[in-house]
Amino acid sequence: MGTDRAQVLPAPRVRAAGHRRLGVTAWRLIALGMILGAWHVASIPAGALLLPSPLAVAPQFVALLRSGELLAATASSLTVLFSGYSLAILTGVSLGVLMGGIRPFGETLEIFVHAMNSTPRVAFIPLIVLWFGLGIKAKVVIVWLTAVFPILINTYVGVQNTDWGLIEAARSFGARQSQVFRHIMLPSALPYVVTGLRIGAALAVIGTVVAELYTALTGLGHLLALFGNTFQTAKYFVPVVTLLLIGTAISESLKALERRAARWKSTTVEF
Amino acid sequence: MTTIPKIDVRAVGKWFGRGDQGQAAGIEVLRDVTFAVMPGEFVCLVGPSGCGKTTLLRMMSGLIPIDRGQILIDGTRPPVPGPHAGFVFQSYRLLPWRTVLDNVRFPLEIQGKDAAEQRQRAATYIRMVGLAGFEQRYPHELSGGMQQRVGLARALAMGPEILFMDEPFAALDAQTREFMQIALSRIWEANRVTVVFVTHSLDEALFLADRVILMRPRPGAVEEVLAVPLPRPRWTYDFHARSEFVALRAHLWERIRRMVADQPEFAWLLGGPGDDEAHGQLRPV
Repeated sequence: MGTDRAQVLPAPRVRAAGHRRLGVTAWRLIALGMILGAWHVASIPAGALLLPSPLAVAPQFVALLRSGELLAATASSLTVLFSGYSLAILTGVSLGVLMGGIRPFGETLEIFVHAMNSTPRVAFIPLIVLWFGLGIKAKVVIVWLTAVFPILINTYVGVQNTDWGLIEAARSFGARQSQVFRHIMLPSALPYVVTGLRIGAALAVIGTVVAELYTALTGLGHLLALFGNTFQTAKYFVPVVTLLLIGTAISESLKALERRAARWKSTTVEF
Repeated sequence: MTTIPKIDVRAVGKWFGRGDQGQAAGIEVLRDVTFAVMPGEFVCLVGPSGCGKTTLLRMMSGLIPIDRGQILIDGTRPPVPGPHAGFVFQSYRLLPWRTVLDNVRFPLEIQGKDAAEQRQRAATYIRMVGLAGFEQRYPHELSGGMQQRVGLARALAMGPEILFMDEPFAALDAQTREFMQIALSRIWEANRVTVVFVTHSLDEALFLADRVILMRPRPGAVEEVLAVPLPRPRWTYDFHARSEFVALRAHLWERIRRMVADQPEFAWLLGGPGDDEAHGQLRPV
């Protein structure tokens, strides 16, 4: 027993990782300060029209927040974003699982999925407008189309890469096909799926803005167009910063999910 | 009165490749294999690579179909995977996302046992393989020997009548391997399940088995069946010093050497006509 203890990884490693991450947070704040500083310095020769200082953007941010304009636009954008993204998760994961689980089905569809994935999605926007109009329906479809493929492909690859030995082991214990699916293929694909979700989320944010600019102007896209076209540059930075914040928030929360999903992997023994 | 064999292998044949029915298209892996394993017996399958030991084990457990002949469990039913037969694999095959406890519970979960029973039985067998206190660890946190003990606990927790073991200790270092052999013998002495154990190691086979089945390759077939008449428990005395062990080992080794010498890729190694030239080519300088 005493010798066995020595053979497992020492526990303190977890705490060490925690310490290191605190350090990273501090460094990130310093880096942010430096970026804002550089931005401010660059804004002095550039002038308020070309590049307003962050000190000029901040009051505009507060003003737009107070007037309710920013919140309404953000709410509208988030509605489009999450509707399209949820739809992409639902369809991407289900189809990916089916393709990975049923070999001939996956092999048949694979080439079409990759064809769609490598075609610029903007090319489909006129068609989508033709079919779905300029309203929220068209926007959700655009977001869905932008985000669905990385989710689908990652899920497919994840299910496909399931260790064959584990499947055979489960079968040797008498597992039915449905149990192999649920207990072996799905958990084994989970880290891949979450990675797909993260890539998909980043694309969904892009898709949302593209949709808002290419169809009826709404949400943060509307603010971008409004302030951009009227050269209110300080105000223009407000929706830009908001999009940055949304993207970061989504990506960070999915990163946390990714760590949890892969916590059984030897390379990520941190909490 | 004769006892019904636990596993009755009768004239079994197997082909791999396109034509499972015809020699022309595929490779014949096993030909006319016949032997019986009695209830509570510990049988080891040994033989050079390519003699179809693992294939035979898979067929006996019902994981792959039988092309010729038949295998009967308890004299009546064909082999079907399930809780009556536990499988222990060379590469452990633990679910990496599950803890030790949840891995051992897994087959019981598949069978639909209630959660309390799953826990209780898993805990019992984890204790039996000496891993109490490691229930919440993940496989990657354990050494190879410990992982394979989880594999053993998982197979035993189902309460199997037969245990199939496919070179379970081959990936372990020599010392851990010896320790595992003793651990397995101890557990077997207490449980007396029927065991079919595939190994390349003659020492391992003789230490563990009641009978050793020696197989020959291309196509795989039974060459010889040897009883190991040494008293149990075998870890209580210097097993490897016993004259019976030495004689059996020498006999098996000689038989395998001859089989392998027939194969051109090994002939140069083991001596035989015309090997001087090969030696000359391989020697550096």
